Amino acid sequence: MSLINDPSMKEIVTDFCNEADSLFDQLEETLSLVEENPAQSKELEKFGQIIDRIMGAAKSIGAQEISTFCELGKVIGYKSSQIKDVPLLEVVVAVLFDSLHMLRKMNQSLREGHDQSMNKLNTKAFSTRLTWLSNKFKDIDRASCSFESNLDQNSIDDLMKSLGM
Amino acid sequence: MGIKADIKILVVDDMSTMRKIIKNMLSQIGFTNITEADDGATAWPMIESAAKEEKPFEFIISDWNMPQMSGLDLLKNVRSTKGMEKLPFLMITAEAEQGNVVVAVKAGVSNFIVKPFSPQTLKEKIDKIFNK
Repeated sequence: MSLINDPSMKEIVTDFCNEADSLFDQLEETLSLVEENPAQSKELEKFGQIIDRIMGAAKSIGAQEISTFCELGKVIGYKSSQIKDVPLLEVVVAVLFDSLHMLRKMNQSLREGHDQSMNKLNTKAFSTRLTWLSNKFKDIDRASCSFESNLDQNSIDDLMKSLGM
Repeated sequence: MGIKADIKILVVDDMSTMRKIIKNMLSQIGFTNITEADDGATAWPMIESAAKEEKPFEFIISDWNMPQMSGLDLLKNVRSTKGMEKLPFLMITAEAEQGNVVVAVKAGVSNFIVKPFSPQTLKEKIDKIFNK
């Protein structure tokens, strides 16, 4: 049973929601900076770092949809920080603002424990949009941003064994 | 549990949710002496000061991605300090890219764990580190 379905873990889930809300504010500030001045695209690296932190905790409590959104947001943030194409950056910022709005709604649903309200959010369609955007940057290499190259626990254990650990 | 229950453990993670989850798991496993730090930059002076007071931390569990000092930099600080070359250090990450694992192994990590993980997985890693 994941933590979000475990009544005894309600406090941890509530803490996650509060912490995520505070980090969403930081993400919004970062996006506002790039929206005002796309030349500051390097700020999107910071966006990637912050959303990565939310992703880790979301995975750990079993908030899978939030985690998936964050994973895509992280890829887009890190990779778009390396581009200078202003029209594309404007699209990136607009989509990330929308994602953030959606993440806040998902977080609120999680806080209230409403599975049904989460279902009404139509996250799948939005996730498709994020995936489409992340594919725009598939030629940009960035460590920890390739879904294919991320290892699961068993692969890590095998790798560590092969490295003599 | 083969390892003594009151082993001095430092849990380092910038997300308080994660610190609570890890502490909760460690308590379930049976550990009783757990301290928290909210970043590598906060943890490092705590580790140094505990060592100076001759009450050193005996096990570090650290997240990789933190805003001020990463888990990797914390590990490098630990390993380059006399007396801490073999201090057990478990790295936690949300996503493990092969290159990062290799870098951490080269830096002297004791083991690696990927989020999300269960208390059972955490226990297995701890047993492996301490039963080498």
